[in-house]
Amino acid sequence: MTFEDDEILQGFIEESLEHLADIENDLLAIEEGGADIDVDLVNKVFRAAHSIKGGAGFMGLTAIQDLAHAAENVLGLIRSEKLVPTPEIVNILLMSSDQLQQLIEDVGNSNKADISPNVDALNIIYEQGEAPKTAAAESSPAVEEQSQEEVPITQEHVEEEIADAPIGAVSDETVFKEEEPAKPEPNVEAEVIPSTVVQPACNKAQSKTATKTDTSIRVTVSLLDQLMNLAGELVLSRNQLLQTITSGDVRSAETVGQRIDLVTSELQEAIMLTRMQPIGNVFNKFPRVVRDLSGKLNKQIDLTIVGKDVELDKTIIEAINDPLTHLVRNSVDHGIESPQERLSKGKDARGLIVLKAYHAAGQVVIEISDDGKGIDGDVLAETAIKKGLVTQEQTNVMSEKERINLILLPGFSTAEKVTDVSGRGVGMDVVKTNLDQLGGSIEIESDVGKGSTISIKLPLTLAIIPCQIIMTGGERYAIPQVNLEELLRIPASKIAERIEKVGNAEVVRLRGNLLPLIRMSDVFDIERTYFDPVKEVTVTDRRKNLADRRTGRSLAEHAHDIEKNTSEDDSNDLKEKRTTDRRQGPASALNIVVVSTGAMKYGLIVDRLHDSEEIVIKPLGRHLQQCKGYAGATIMGDGRIALILDVNSIASMAGLTSLEGSERARQLSEANKEAITKSKDRQALLTFSSSPQENFGVPLNQVERVEKIKSTDVEDVGGRRVMQYRGGSLPLISIDEVAMVQPLDVQDNYLVIVFHLAGKDIGLLATGPIDAVEISSDIDDVTLKQTGIMGSAIIDGNTTMLIDIFEIVQTINPQWFEDITLEDRFGTEIEAPTILIVEDSNFFRNQVKGYLEEAGFNVLEGEDGVEGWHIIEEQHDEITLVVTDIEMPNMDGFELTEKIKQHPEYSVLPVIALTTLAAQEDVERGEAVGVNEYHIKLDKERLMESVHKYAQPKKATH
Amino acid sequence: MKPSSQSNKTMIELATFHVGDALCGMDILKVQEINKIMEMTIVPQSPDYVQGILNLRGQIVTIIDLGKKLGLGQTDLGSDPRNIIVNAPGEYVGLLVNKLSDVVAAEPDKIEPAPANMSGIQGSFFTGVYKTENKLIGVLDIKEVLRMDTENINRV
Repeated sequence: MTFEDDEILQGFIEESLEHLADIENDLLAIEEGGADIDVDLVNKVFRAAHSIKGGAGFMGLTAIQDLAHAAENVLGLIRSEKLVPTPEIVNILLMSSDQLQQLIEDVGNSNKADISPNVDALNIIYEQGEAPKTAAAESSPAVEEQSQEEVPITQEHVEEEIADAPIGAVSDETVFKEEEPAKPEPNVEAEVIPSTVVQPACNKAQSKTATKTDTSIRVTVSLLDQLMNLAGELVLSRNQLLQTITSGDVRSAETVGQRIDLVTSELQEAIMLTRMQPIGNVFNKFPRVVRDLSGKLNKQIDLTIVGKDVELDKTIIEAINDPLTHLVRNSVDHGIESPQERLSKGKDARGLIVLKAYHAAGQVVIEISDDGKGIDGDVLAETAIKKGLVTQEQTNVMSEKERINLILLPGFSTAEKVTDVSGRGVGMDVVKTNLDQLGGSIEIESDVGKGSTISIKLPLTLAIIPCQIIMTGGERYAIPQVNLEELLRIPASKIAERIEKVGNAEVVRLRGNLLPLIRMSDVFDIERTYFDPVKEVTVTDRRKNLADRRTGRSLAEHAHDIEKNTSEDDSNDLKEKRTTDRRQGPASALNIVVVSTGAMKYGLIVDRLHDSEEIVIKPLGRHLQQCKGYAGATIMGDGRIALILDVNSIASMAGLTSLEGSERARQLSEANKEAITKSKDRQALLTFSSSPQENFGVPLNQVERVEKIKSTDVEDVGGRRVMQYRGGSLPLISIDEVAMVQPLDVQDNYLVIVFHLAGKDIGLLATGPIDAVEISSDIDDVTLKQTGIMGSAIIDGNTTMLIDIFEIVQTINPQWFEDITLEDRFGTEIEAPTILIVEDSNFFRNQVKGYLEEAGFNVLEGEDGVEGWHIIEEQHDEITLVVTDIEMPNMDGFELTEKIKQHPEYSVLPVIALTTLAAQEDVERGEAVGVNEYHIKLDKERLMESVHKYAQPKKATH
Repeated sequence: MKPSSQSNKTMIELATFHVGDALCGMDILKVQEINKIMEMTIVPQSPDYVQGILNLRGQIVTIIDLGKKLGLGQTDLGSDPRNIIVNAPGEYVGLLVNKLSDVVAAEPDKIEPAPANMSGIQGSFFTGVYKTENKLIGVLDIKEVLRMDTENINRV
């Protein structure tokens, strides 16, 4: 046949395909509703079939017309509630719509197609009110049509048709029902899709129709208007610019420049919008996919779709179709168990798959989660070993997440049995590759027995991506923000501490984890350079190891280095310090870009960090295709080109795979475990100054509050300094009154650190800056110890003296404490009680021992719980009180207390627990095991109070 | 451009330039443009004959050092170097040359087969040689010049 007007035909095709795209989901919803017929929905499908029939008739497309007509008849029955849409009936309707789609996509040959199987099946339903027993449709599933009508048919018309049908047959199979309220979901779909969707035909259809021209896109008129407006603005701005150039007016050039800047970015956004499509275009086909598959596999699965209207670039929408289909099929086939299996596990027989799309951090996240059996990392590891993809040793050190991510390795298929649904050798690695190409990433989380969630992160658009600009070797590079985790700058003084070396690999300690490091210059064979921020130049770097800056080198090597430096340096001055200076200077700081590629995270060491910019990706030429490590190039604001880095291939270029990285990191963390446990016992300090040269610290938990005062607030009364505080006079002291330190600096403003001791407040005069820091208990209690100073520690590179406020106050006001000295209580003739101190830190042990001995007690010491227990076993007769730390190696304080309290003989021993931080849960746990009292370390006053309370002299008790 | 239609058929114009000691030429119709933008971005790990990439009005153009590509060593940027931008399939490629010379009209019939070696350049890079009164011009086979040299990746 000939078509006189191509445009009309084209219009018909587009419209029909749009109708068909909706039909599928609507039919599924109808099936789900079963006897509860949603008349609105059926009406919609009916109208669609009707309009296709009408259009086809007008064009002389008889095959389409007939098939659409047959479908319309059946739908009419359903609409008038004379037929219950059973799965069989819906199946035939679905297959008819499939065939209709094929016919419409190939209209030229549609009349030659054989539509009889579906038409016959439909007619049988129409006439007999039930699906044919030998579903003709099943035999030729690909060839059926179904049409839909646009013009609403009057009720009478339908009833007329129904009246023709044999009444008996109808009454058997159809049920008359009250109309149920419309289900909201299908209606929402119906509204959302046509407004923005352009090419409703799914990919399957596109591949089959070679004649189809380049894809077109439908844009709302309002958006087009906006574009026109902006284009007009742009023209105006150009005219202004040209005028300005002619007149040479610099000031108005600025204005015009701004204007053009604005218009351009708005135009860019608007054009981008035209490319955006709702993800529902892809999602909408999944109800059918899940339905068909679950039927085939005898599973019962519900599919919930969330976030259909999330918009993505058209190219991305098209490209994620296949990966998503694969993932959904996987969930149906491998994820959800059979109903029997589910019931036996105590789950609902119906499985649930949730397909969800949402925006997060400028990206779109698509999640496919199921409540199936989950992915067993151990099974994956075993399979991977069997297939020779990894070694046993590698899997031993892998985390569960890494094991699950093994599924992404090429050549991995989990299905033990190859089914026609999934597991056809096209593995998850293909999915990953596809997503990589889109600049997306994939993450798998799974809970064995409970289900798994696969998250895909996609950029909104491919054309313009936000990037972090960095510099290495004097050239700029861009790292896509998608891959960026964080930026890290390690000052020169911390490098030796935080960068470690394992074999040839360098790692950085980041919040307790070890992160493998890659030096960008090494991977790309660029000369090592560093950026000198003072001179603003990039200079060649000669160091071999990062940690070389400070330690770990033999003297000979060091001397050699200096020699080399000086000889290379043209100037004759032999400033050996030069090298050292730079090592500690700002130029030595390390700039690390922490990037992630799915399961793996690493740090890329670069010379400089620049801003983040939105860039346009341009492809590299043919000659550079074989260079690894680049994702393309972009043109920067100054017209120069920056290369875009591909963090994935950089990792492989550096020989860093997820497995190796984690193995190394694990070894390191093992090695450092001890150090980490040690550092757990931390002490919070308030640091302050009293003179410019000296730094002081005091345990934070002893401080009541800190006041800021003017020097005029300090009153000198009766040889004492006081200030007015809360309606009374607060005595003020300074450290130099007691300890041999620099005198208090004279300033306009002071800080007053208020302590509460012996029931009284006292203020310590100090100067800023104050800070609260946490230090490990690595405190030197020998070198700087003197009256009022309990020891020292290195904080941020400064020696900080820790003051003993108790001692200071006692020295100044001995009368405050007189009432609680031991002699007063026991008298000199009575043998002093013996107290056992169990504490792993030398410093704290000696400190507490000092308090106790000073008060006249005998002291026994144990370094950890085990040792403490031995002492108790041997000398329990003498011991009247146990003072123990909580955090200790071998046996901690809780365990020790528990042992004591459960022992028939020792249980009477009171136990005082000391801790750096008394968290509520710790206190509760302590009480549970029988701790009598809890005290914060270095809070001498309260500790001594309880010691006196519990430590009654032995003789007195006997 | 030749005014008469007859000579259009028979004559071709060669843009000639110096590469090392050799005088080379190529059909001027294959030349997109000639510029002297030397602000290139170096691409680490690129084949060593790639000088860098440059921004040609929004297009990324790969610049090939013709001297290196033809085996004559690095082109001397000190003289008066030029990029001859040629239109390769799907992209523009720039050929970095020492110095430009004249445009020479040549009769295609008189282009002779290339010798095995010309001024140290392999004959396979030439489609032929053209002799003028006092010069010998090697006519470059651009396809061959732009062919990827996979073995020649610079690994420094």
